[in-house]
Amino acid sequence: MRAKLSVLRACRQLLRPGGRIAFYTIFIPPGISREDRERVLRLGDPPEVASAAEQGALLRSAGFSDIDETDVTGEFLVTARGWLGGRERFAAQLRRREGAAAFDEGQTNRRARVAAIGAGLLRRALFVAVRH
Amino acid sequence: MASKQTGFARWADAYAQPDSRAWRAIEREVIGANVGANGYTTVAQAEQLAGRLALGPGARLLDVGAGRGWPGLYLAERTGCDVVVTDVPAAGLRDAFARTRRSRLARRASFARASGAKLPFRPRTFDAVVHTDVL
Repeated sequence: MRAKLSVLRACRQLLRPGGRIAFYTIFIPPGISREDRERVLRLGDPPEVASAAEQGALLRSAGFSDIDETDVTGEFLVTARGWLGGRERFAAQLRRREGAAAFDEGQTNRRARVAAIGAGLLRRALFVAVRH
Repeated sequence: MASKQTGFARWADAYAQPDSRAWRAIEREVIGANVGANGYTTVAQAEQLAGRLALGPGARLLDVGAGRGWPGLYLAERTGCDVVVTDVPAAGLRDAFARTRRSRLARRASFARASGAKLPFRPRTFDAVVHTDVL
């Protein structure tokens, strides 16, 4: 939470008045159980991504306004499934390239991520905000 | 036994992997083009970013945590804006730099190895900031 805020504040400082920030972010929706939260955190995303913190509140704390959120969780699921399925189709080549253990671990994580998105434990959204 | 890497190390390793035909085929199918992406931002979503940020010639864009330059380099190519690409893993930035040499972006793209919290630029330098799944 503190790391996110410091990056957003740094970004605000670099923007000219009227400048905009836009970012896609993956996050854990509020209200999920501690067990589910820990399960999702184990998927291997950077810890800054896997947070239940309210993105809008962070943006406001960093000094942004005119905050707009667009949920893209449906597209996130399609893309996550795409990487999983695509990598499975090229498994032989990718195992040689990445090493069998790393490939298998990656695919296990990808399967778990697809399941977590489908179960509503992970969301993705586009946030746009203005620096006045 | 598989080693448990941190998320950051996993991404850094991914940037160090050479492109392969298999990887490019998957990326084209999932992302919509071969742009050096390994995350979840598709070409259609990058187009949304271009519109929402009102990018155009003369605008200065900062892409934080850009990996191999996606989507910052694409946005610069697509809209005519200038872009500064930043990230920590050097392998990704090297790849991003090589991409600009293959395109017509060399004069409008620059690079800095820096983390999101310590960006080495003067205040009020940019018209727009973008990042994708960094935070």
